[in-house]
Amino acid sequence: MTTLHTRVLIIGAGATGAGLLRDLALRGVPALLIEQRDVNSGASGGNHGLLHSGARYVASDREAAVECREEGDILRRLAPQCIEDSGGLFVAVRGDDERYVADFPSLCAASSVPCRGLDLGTARAMEPALSPDLVAAFAVQDGAVDPFMLSLDNIAQALSLGGSMRRNLAARSMEVENGRIVRVLCRDITTGEDVRIEADLVLNAAGAWAARVASLAGARIGMLFSMGSLLITQDRIATRVINRLRKPSDADILVPGGTVSILGTTSIRVASPDGCRPSVAEADRIIDDARAMLPILDRTRYIRAYAGVRPLVSLGPAGDDRAVSRGFALVDHAADGLENFITITGGKLTTYRLMAEKAADLACAKLGVAAPCRTRTEPLPASTLGQWTEPGKGPRAWVDSRTEDDLVLCECEMVSRGVIDSIIDEAGAMRGRSMLKAIGMRSRVGKGPCQGGFCGQRVTGHLYDRGMIAGMQGLAELKTFTERRWRGFSPILWGVPLMQADLQEALYCGSMDLEFGPPPSTRDDEGACAPVAKEPA
Amino acid sequence: MKTYDVMVIGSGFAGMAASLFAAKRGLSVVQAGGTGGIDFSTGFIDLMAVHPVAEQRVWEDPFAALAALRKDLPLHPYAHVADDEIGAALEEFTAFLGNNGLCYTGRPGRNTLALTSAGTVKPTYLLPCSAWGGVEALEAKAPTLLVDFHGLKGISARQIAEVRADWPGLRTARVRFPGMGGELYPEHMAWSMADQARRTELAEAVRPLLGNARFVGFPAIFGMTDTMAVVGHMEELLGRRVFEIPTLPPSIAGPRLRAAFDRGLPALGVRTYTQKLVSAAEVSGEMFHFTAGSGSTAVRIAARGAVLAGGRFFGKGLKADRHAVREAVFDLPVRQPEKREDWHRAEFFDPRGHEINQAGLETDAALRPLGADGQPFHPRLHAAGAILAHQDWMRMKCGAGLAIATACKAVRELSQNL
Amino acid sequence: MDFFSAGLGLACLSFVLGLAWRVHGRPGSRLPAAPEQDRRKSGLAAGLADIILLRRTLRSGKVRWAGHMLLILGFLPLLVLHAMDGIVTRPLFSGYEPTLEPWQSARNILGLAALAGLALLAWHRGRRLLPLSRFQDWALPGLLASILLTGFLLEAAKMASPADFERMVADYFPEADSEEFLALQALWARENGVRFERFLPTAPEILEHGRELHEDRCAGCHAPTATAFASRALADALPARIVLPRTVPPIFWHLHVGLSFLALALLPWGKFLHPLASSANLVARGGRRDSGFPATALGRNLALEACTRCGQCSLHCSVAPSRRVLGNADILPMDKLADLRSWLDRSLDDARLTDLVEGSHVCTECLRCTQVCPAGIDLQDLWMSSKAALSEEGRAGVDGEFRKRTAGEWALDLGSRRLGGVGSSGTGLADRAESFWGCVQCTTCTGVCPVVAVSTDPQRDLDLTPQQIMNYLRMGLKAQTLGARMVWSCTTCYKCQEHCPQGVPVADILYELRQLGARTLRHKGKP
Repeated sequence: MTTLHTRVLIIGAGATGAGLLRDLALRGVPALLIEQRDVNSGASGGNHGLLHSGARYVASDREAAVECREEGDILRRLAPQCIEDSGGLFVAVRGDDERYVADFPSLCAASSVPCRGLDLGTARAMEPALSPDLVAAFAVQDGAVDPFMLSLDNIAQALSLGGSMRRNLAARSMEVENGRIVRVLCRDITTGEDVRIEADLVLNAAGAWAARVASLAGARIGMLFSMGSLLITQDRIATRVINRLRKPSDADILVPGGTVSILGTTSIRVASPDGCRPSVAEADRIIDDARAMLPILDRTRYIRAYAGVRPLVSLGPAGDDRAVSRGFALVDHAADGLENFITITGGKLTTYRLMAEKAADLACAKLGVAAPCRTRTEPLPASTLGQWTEPGKGPRAWVDSRTEDDLVLCECEMVSRGVIDSIIDEAGAMRGRSMLKAIGMRSRVGKGPCQGGFCGQRVTGHLYDRGMIAGMQGLAELKTFTERRWRGFSPILWGVPLMQADLQEALYCGSMDLEFGPPPSTRDDEGACAPVAKEPA
Repeated sequence: MKTYDVMVIGSGFAGMAASLFAAKRGLSVVQAGGTGGIDFSTGFIDLMAVHPVAEQRVWEDPFAALAALRKDLPLHPYAHVADDEIGAALEEFTAFLGNNGLCYTGRPGRNTLALTSAGTVKPTYLLPCSAWGGVEALEAKAPTLLVDFHGLKGISARQIAEVRADWPGLRTARVRFPGMGGELYPEHMAWSMADQARRTELAEAVRPLLGNARFVGFPAIFGMTDTMAVVGHMEELLGRRVFEIPTLPPSIAGPRLRAAFDRGLPALGVRTYTQKLVSAAEVSGEMFHFTAGSGSTAVRIAARGAVLAGGRFFGKGLKADRHAVREAVFDLPVRQPEKREDWHRAEFFDPRGHEINQAGLETDAALRPLGADGQPFHPRLHAAGAILAHQDWMRMKCGAGLAIATACKAVRELSQNL
Repeated sequence: MDFFSAGLGLACLSFVLGLAWRVHGRPGSRLPAAPEQDRRKSGLAAGLADIILLRRTLRSGKVRWAGHMLLILGFLPLLVLHAMDGIVTRPLFSGYEPTLEPWQSARNILGLAALAGLALLAWHRGRRLLPLSRFQDWALPGLLASILLTGFLLEAAKMASPADFERMVADYFPEADSEEFLALQALWARENGVRFERFLPTAPEILEHGRELHEDRCAGCHAPTATAFASRALADALPARIVLPRTVPPIFWHLHVGLSFLALALLPWGKFLHPLASSANLVARGGRRDSGFPATALGRNLALEACTRCGQCSLHCSVAPSRRVLGNADILPMDKLADLRSWLDRSLDDARLTDLVEGSHVCTECLRCTQVCPAGIDLQDLWMSSKAALSEEGRAGVDGEFRKRTAGEWALDLGSRRLGGVGSSGTGLADRAESFWGCVQCTTCTGVCPVVAVSTDPQRDLDLTPQQIMNYLRMGLKAQTLGARMVWSCTTCYKCQEHCPQGVPVADILYELRQLGARTLRHKGKP
């Protein structure tokens, strides 16, 4: 059994964990980040990709509104490569609560969230897809963020400054002695190998799994899980973020995601962060509601749905999950008799840096490290780790700079064989054993209209050609890949997507009999289905 | 405006078969359809191989499978067609293909396992002759060389060899296709294979790699027409048996079928309208009036009888919005699951198959689709092929066979009423 | 030297010199040599059949064919048997007189047929070809019609002219006394339409006498003028008491003959030569409708001269909509051919040369004009060789400009790299999200594309395949597609669109990109 030693162990490679790794590295504290699956496997990989201006929370949660505004400004300044500063609109249509509309500007002012009233003609000229039944429109500073690139860039800089990371390592148990966690016992879920980690301090940034991780050390955190589903359209419907101007509820927001738009969301209480997937009912509800502000949503082509689970630390009686604060929870488990254990959870993507800062401050205090936080001022360098997740990068690179003898394996998104090879080579030890899955996460492969129907097979053939997979493994992984895409594909199967699915089954089952043969490989997924990784914005 | 005996709606397997059978019986036939399903065919003609679907039980004897099927699923369309009619229909169909340059073969009363581009084997009933060598090689596990090409994306010989670990004599090689570089497309390669010089070049590239191989397998690229002549020539050049494996789309198996129909059906007097979907249909008295296509190139067609063979969603015979499935031409009642939640299973590869794939038109014993009152919608409107309810062709492996058999039955019944 | 000889002499001189001038340049040799000659299946018989039966003209329209047939069947015999009767008809037919049957009625029938033909052609031009028509297109039928009309008028005038009557009597019946003269006059007034000043008797015995005299003296050379029914109708239409002055027939004669000489003199100019030139070309082409034969200098010279300006090529041109968008007349084959001819003659000004270059490169070489041309001109060969010739001179035109840089460089130069065009708000198919909603990534469009098929390396030669271009546009990356060589190599054969199972308008979109590229480059001030 391998034993790893580190000063700080961070559990969970979502945005917070990645941000923590970087924050600590910048303070000269090298840490080890472990993750049971892959980067952004939780809420960080299943969210809307929205860089909140804060305007959504001016009525319901002023603290969150202010936080969002401040953090949004910082991110725009320091990590522009992860952000599309598209701007946003809040619009109300006939039938929406007029009092909310009337109060909106003053509420924004009270939280210092910039907001500017627009006349309806201007709003419709800016966004032709808006409904003709608009009654009010305001411009705000919303933006779109690519959470995958964000996490990867954080990790990349941290690794260059002495931090380290291991994927596919799940914490199984913790040995506590004298009020300190002395050992964390992990298992590599792809090899089955057991790994022992000894750290001075353990930071629990496991998001929706934080309660589970905390319980390994004997600590209790009350947590609620709220699942939200989103739909992705084939084309980018609006240039800006479009928000419904009303008390926050379902189907309020359309966020641009590069070449697509992302519509959502819902909020459904679930019992566990595992096994969530978007449903037909949610897809219909979202469209039925949102089409009031954007009529084209009723006819446009969707390419998939996905779902993510929000961890909500419960502070009081149950009710609408939106009433539970989106503010994050920083728990010093000294109160539970654990000196060197901290949990940071809850929150939203926009405030990840702040969460990491607070947690790192507490951690450094415990470690006796005096260095201050630098992430408020230090720009986040762009790394190459996540570059191919950027929409449009593949096609532009193909036209600009392809090499002879290269060819395109994912036609929808124009991802070439050369790019895929570079991803495989660069992911290195981090890729685990599921090549297709790793490629899918680090690029746009499988994210276009065919949802992997064609490219999945081509990439599998290529992996066989390169000798990276043998025997039935490729087919098993192709089936896993297909099932993963299916979770997001099946809720939106009407019109053209249904024709696409019809064609896919005709090829996979009608022609190639893939429903026989090896089952989908489940090594990477403990238990039931995991939340699907989000398309980066 | 001429009035036809039969209007065939759809140009997939069922539509083509219906036109063929009707023309052969001396009826005047007009056909309209898109370019959908048939272009994605592997060229294999499945009859029946898996039942029950949920148990994934594969049958060697398709007629035994049919007997079991009719007993267990009396609503399945095959229950309306007798075995001998099925056999006769398949024979007539493949004879027509043979006369139009596409040779088919198989073992009477037995399914055959055929190699696919994924490396899997699938049970099927009739295969293009150009693929038969692969069957023999597979069954004998003979020493075989599989050749693929730089730049051809839809097939990896290495993958096939890896998946068929039970075939140790299988070797692979990758060569450059003569005269073409970069990304390759099977249809272009097939056209170039019509040139003898190219075939010679290809043989020269492959010859040094043959070793002890008795068979050589290639992706399906051997000519769009006269495939067997090209294969024969390759066998001569290489001194080995040569066979084809159908590729992923864009494969040429489908276009070969389409080309055979485009040649042969007009020669039988069938009036064909390609890339024209039926956009409107009226019934007045004894006559059907259809509009095919739209805009300035739309045509009006009058017919005494009709066969609905438009296929399913990809074929555009059925269409679905968020709430329901509809039949595209007459808006006939479609048997379907109550809610969209029930259309598909949680897993794509669920062995039971998806409920929506059994949706479709219910018919009487003469294959006439039923109206809202449960009676045949019209005495001379019949339906054939994948548009029918109570069958899942993709999981049962009965696609082309069902299409041909039901087309035959539909035409026979219709001709008795004309 | 009289009018006739002088006129004929000048006209012939003009014809010969003009013809010599027209062919002297041998501009066809200025085009680069064609690759191999494809000598299959050409035949003199087929070429002659094309001329005699006007097969190609029939293919392009029944009205034009009928008009031409009537005109030719009317005019040619008139030309040979009437205009050239001195050297043809008279030697061949003993006792020929133009005023005898069947010549009189024949002339009228033929003249009317020719006029009917001209009327049909004029009507067709007015209905279908008005925007394409220039002065010479009306001048030729106009000139021919005037020849025919003046012919009728001349004949009518001669019939009605008393002066002519008197002259004839003086020449052929000088011994007539006044009574005989009167009888003859009466007969001719009554039966042959002469309009005398004085009132003439109509008593039967006088007419009978006149008839006898007529039989004796006139009938040998004169059939009843009623057989010249059309001219007679004209003559009879003269208002009752008008008597033609003696100067009138000569005026018509001079007009009729003068116009004929004019036509002969003008024959080498513009489309006036087409009866000869097109026929020569049709013989050379030997019935073929494809391209590449005979791609010799002589063949090309014949082709360059053979245009009849019928406009069929322009009516069938694949890129005709570009003409509306870009406003360049040289996009259409008919005008492009004329300017090409001028360019080869080195007589084309710079502004028109720019138009010619642009038109040359917007052309998608789809072969339609060549197949449809009634004169059998191998237009495709001319377009391809002239494109090469223009490019060699550094005038590579719009697609040559595009090929100078990679698609990536053009993307930088031409467009915004902002991702994701806003859906449903563009003006063209390529801008509209709905265009791509149906695409299922089956690559059928690329699979059937003949341009991809003949390219030995599609990425190197074409940058992007049709399906890939659709994906780029779906993602809003239009700038990257404008510079793709696929757009500039597309032949608008429409196979992609015809085979797409989902109704994506692939060919229409490629075509739209081509137009957009041309227009964009124009605004950047490049040739």
